Amino acid sequence: MEPTMNPLLPFLMAGDPSLAALPGLLSEAKALGLDAIEVGLPHSDPIADGPVLQAAAQRAIADGATPIKVLEALAACAESPDVILFTYLNPLFQLGAERLIGLLRPTPVKALLVVDLPDDQEPDFERTLRDAGYPMVPLLAPTTDLERAKGLLARRPDPGPGAPFAQRFAYVVARLGVTGSDQATDLAPVRERVAALRGLSERPLAVGFGLGDPASLAAVRRWGTTPVVGSALVKALAAGTGLTGFLTPRLT
Amino acid sequence: MTHAAPHATAFTLPDRFGTAEFGGCYAPETLMQPLLDLEAAFVAAVEDPAFQLELKTELRNFVGRPTPLTPAPRLAARLGLDALYLKREDLTHTGAHKINNALAQALLAKRMGKAEIIAETGAGQHGVATAAACARLGLSCTVYMGVTDMARQAPNVARMRMFGATVVPVASGQGTLKEAVNEALRAWAGRCDAAHYILGSALGPHPFPTMVRTFQTVIGEEALAQVLEQRGALPDAVIACAGGGSNGLGLLVPFLGYRLRRFVVEAGGHGDGLGEHAARVSREGQGGGRVGVLHGCKTLLLQDEHGHTAETASISAGLDYPALGPRTRRPRPGREGGGAAGLRRDGAGGREGPV
Ligand SMILES: Cc1ncc(COP(=O)(O)O)c(C=O)c1O
Repeated sequence: MEPTMNPLLPFLMAGDPSLAALPGLLSEAKALGLDAIEVGLPHSDPIADGPVLQAAAQRAIADGATPIKVLEALAACAESPDVILFTYLNPLFQLGAERLIGLLRPTPVKALLVVDLPDDQEPDFERTLRDAGYPMVPLLAPTTDLERAKGLLARRPDPGPGAPFAQRFAYVVARLGVTGSDQATDLAPVRERVAALRGLSERPLAVGFGLGDPASLAAVRRWGTTPVVGSALVKALAAGTGLTGFLTPRLT
Repeated sequence: MTHAAPHATAFTLPDRFGTAEFGGCYAPETLMQPLLDLEAAFVAAVEDPAFQLELKTELRNFVGRPTPLTPAPRLAARLGLDALYLKREDLTHTGAHKINNALAQALLAKRMGKAEIIAETGAGQHGVATAAACARLGLSCTVYMGVTDMARQAPNVARMRMFGATVVPVASGQGTLKEAVNEALRAWAGRCDAAHYILGSALGPHPFPTMVRTFQTVIGEEALAQVLEQRGALPDAVIACAGGGSNGLGLLVPFLGYRLRRFVVEAGGHGDGLGEHAARVSREGQGGGRVGVLHGCKTLLLQDEHGHTAETASISAGLDYPALGPRTRRPRPGREGGGAAGLRRDGAGGREGPV
């Protein structure tokens, strides 16, 4: 197991339950000792998200969580784990790389995860962001064969052990489909893929999509990979459960 | 993909169009390999005489092609024109041009060994066409349709079910075509090992815009031959409507390179404000479309200042969509490109004339 092993990578949607709640949620996450957290920047058409995150994005947008307001709210989060900004291309593309970088500077954002941006589609945009310190997280899906994975990992390279987890890890998508934890995820196939990917790269791996219960999270952790918990946390926060209360039993 | 099309030999397969670099493949990683596989299968099929023959035979015997070109002299006189011809895609089996593409993609899916079909539909015409093609070829069919469209196009919902399709209501957003495409893309990500997604218009990630255009150009090829036969000359103009742009490209592409005017008409809706129309091109720069990314491609998109997709409005469910397919665009002065047409909006105040 790498020394940089991060026990859990939670996801929450900025603006849900409210932007005002964001600093408190991030400082709770920091107090739990987490290295990193994914923060969703809500988009109107989240084509890779299931019902829970769709609804969270809609609530956030309805509540006025525009991209600029989200980034301004993040800038006000003094106590926070490293943030991976999780979103879709169009809101970022409309800001443009230069303006986006200016808005990111005062925030704890260390990397971007843009679901609908393959690494060859906006090379200038991506390079400008990477050079400014905002690399894109590579995604490896069940449909990504090892040959393709090798290329993806090379084109979105690991900056090396000196860099924080947020900038190093690759995201292994646990199953076909969209985010959400309603159906239980069969862990056997993703376990095999993780083992195969270990042969390609030393970088830290996170495994997500459909994980929520403490047992699955613990199983993923035993492989030396960081489990991601998204929809289940968003659902809990919406139901009024606190972040610390929900994550604590999921940390070991 | 610009980087990888070594197999695109005899057939060039553009994935970007025009100076604005419209098109591309902005898809989640889960769908990338399925899209690459689809591109390869499409190129192989187009180059395979057996596939071409099968498609041609089915277009004749099942779809009912060629469709007539009907002169409409009374309407022409009313409009002050010498002549007006209607290309009768309404006389295909299931009643719209959508079947040309749906059937061809269903044949392709079968070749790829995919027995499950996913589709979206707006007006319901693409859903009905896909349901019919699946019934013809023995494929299972699930169609995603917005709840607003299901209510206003109820007869088409009944027809899809009659052909044995499952119609899944999509309640999010304004319950129209955009939300149906979202949900179909999500469903495909979950079933892409077993299912093919038959996208109904010339939009979405590469290779869909090129593939749908290719399967629809039969409209314009027939129309060109028919107008020359009936009139003995080229028309002065060709006109089509554009939701996503598939019938527009299908009709206009074979007329590219001739000296005539090409028009695509988009939905004027009921007002000039964002959300009151689907006029992406004709209002470009005046609250109309701005370059953006939706549903896997970069194109002119009706969106708010934050990059969220705008709502749209039209009395026509088939035109009620915020993005124009990336291959259909206003030609830039002095530039000949893959785009088809000048664009105008319908509705009150819609002007005619070349752009
Ligand atoms: C009869 C008919 N025409 C046109 C359209 C618009 O689509 P496209 O622009 O792809 O031809 C539709 C879409 O549903 C349709 O049903």
